[in-house]
Amino acid sequence: MSEGDERGRAGVVSIEKAPSRIDEDPGLRVLRAIADSFPEAVSGGTQLKPGVLRVHVERADLYSVCRNLKESLGFEHLTMISAVDYEDRFEIVYHITSYEARLLLELITSTPKDDPSVDSISTIWGGANWQEREAFDLMGVVFRSHPKLERILLPKDVLYHPLRKDFKG
Amino acid sequence: MAEMWINMGPQHPMTHGLWNLRVKVDGETIVDAEPEVGYLHRGIEKICEGLTYPQIIPIADRLCYGSSLTWSHLYCLTVEDLMDVEVPERAEYIRVMSIEMQRIASHLMWLAAYAGDLGLSVGFTYTMRDREVFVDLLQALTGSRLTYNYPRIGGVAHDLPPDFERDALRAVEYMERRLKEYEDLFEGSKIFMMRNVGIGILRKEDGMNLGVTGPSLRASGVSYDLRKDMPYSVYPEMDFNVAIHKDGDCYARYRVRMDEMWESCRIIRQALRKMPEGRWRIVAPRTAPAETGLGRVEDPRGEAVMYVVGDGSDKPYRLKIRSPIFVTVSAAPKILVGYKLADVVAIMGGLDMCIGENDR
Repeated sequence: MSEGDERGRAGVVSIEKAPSRIDEDPGLRVLRAIADSFPEAVSGGTQLKPGVLRVHVERADLYSVCRNLKESLGFEHLTMISAVDYEDRFEIVYHITSYEARLLLELITSTPKDDPSVDSISTIWGGANWQEREAFDLMGVVFRSHPKLERILLPKDVLYHPLRKDFKG
Repeated sequence: MAEMWINMGPQHPMTHGLWNLRVKVDGETIVDAEPEVGYLHRGIEKICEGLTYPQIIPIADRLCYGSSLTWSHLYCLTVEDLMDVEVPERAEYIRVMSIEMQRIASHLMWLAAYAGDLGLSVGFTYTMRDREVFVDLLQALTGSRLTYNYPRIGGVAHDLPPDFERDALRAVEYMERRLKEYEDLFEGSKIFMMRNVGIGILRKEDGMNLGVTGPSLRASGVSYDLRKDMPYSVYPEMDFNVAIHKDGDCYARYRVRMDEMWESCRIIRQALRKMPEGRWRIVAPRTAPAETGLGRVEDPRGEAVMYVVGDGSDKPYRLKIRSPIFVTVSAAPKILVGYKLADVVAIMGGLDMCIGENDR
């Protein structure tokens, strides 16, 4: 099958979907657009309050979801990356902003305790570069294919990650 | 000519705090740059995990000595979001008024340092003298001069002192006269303009991609100000303009901050006029639910965000602080490359570094 046929089929599928109503809340529209594009990868999409959304995403699909957010849904600004150490998992929380729609999306992905690693998104948003290094430095989360994953706040020869809960002074 | 790396810092007149800028030069031209930070890392996020919610307010002050009030305000907003606390309206007006005073004081301190960097000593003395007017006002309001410990979870620590409105209006009038004078002083200085115009251009696309926020982004033509775009507190009640400039050079960044001071004066006047009578503080719960809270404010340096995770106890499980300047300085190599070594001072000065919040 040629490439042209692929594109044609994709076009048919998108037409068959129910069109978004124009007067719909922009936050709900974004949530539905994410859920439609990645039915397997995302779950628990909610609007916490007007303008603030929350979505959980599988860590294997993080990169493609983020790409879609930037390229199709207009989320051009990566605000913050936070890593949280829970008893049974690490959560990495991405706050991503859309300048035009005035939305803030809280994208949460979790990693198991014995393998704290996710794909780096610093090729999508350049602003993620230092924030990922900070999360690596203080929490020990590995960002795969990061251009320069080194400690940034602590000296390079430090052996611990101080924000982990099992670190005691 | 052979390329070589030069360390500007950690002890260097340009740095205003402990950090190091490594620049790779080919003759006089910068071909690569690499900021090194972390000299002032105090582990504030970890310290906060061992303190109760009210105990963190003075720690949040110490994130940035230039604009400490915005940080404790942000912390209180974040915890109020976590605890679902409604703040009395009078407290919101007092907060908005005081953080605008803090914004003017912070911008004046930036202007003083910037003037000093560029060899305009008279600019340094004038702006530091006039910053004192607002520091005195904040001292009358809060009791201290640098780290205020004034906002509380559920309001502010105490009401306005006697005759505060009169003094504040006088200060604003004085400031507006002074701002005109500064504009003449700085823009009439040939050296200041030569070292600013066309230097350190940050393209709009690069600024957006690299996560630059605040005056540095608005100087590149992106109208993104949380006070307008995602309003918090009583900013929707205020009538003010977002200062933007399209050139993206050092002069544009200077211009945006000057315009912001004008707008801050307007906001202070309106807040004083519209401030209702009533309570200024309510009693907040001691413990927070096992949920998450988020606060965002427009710091003088950009978008400041805190993310707090509660676990049902009286201490936060995790408090994450987003420092605007930490992300902005990561964009410095993009701005610096191609300019001369002598422009580094103007470019890095124009970003308004604050190491306290940068390193946390």
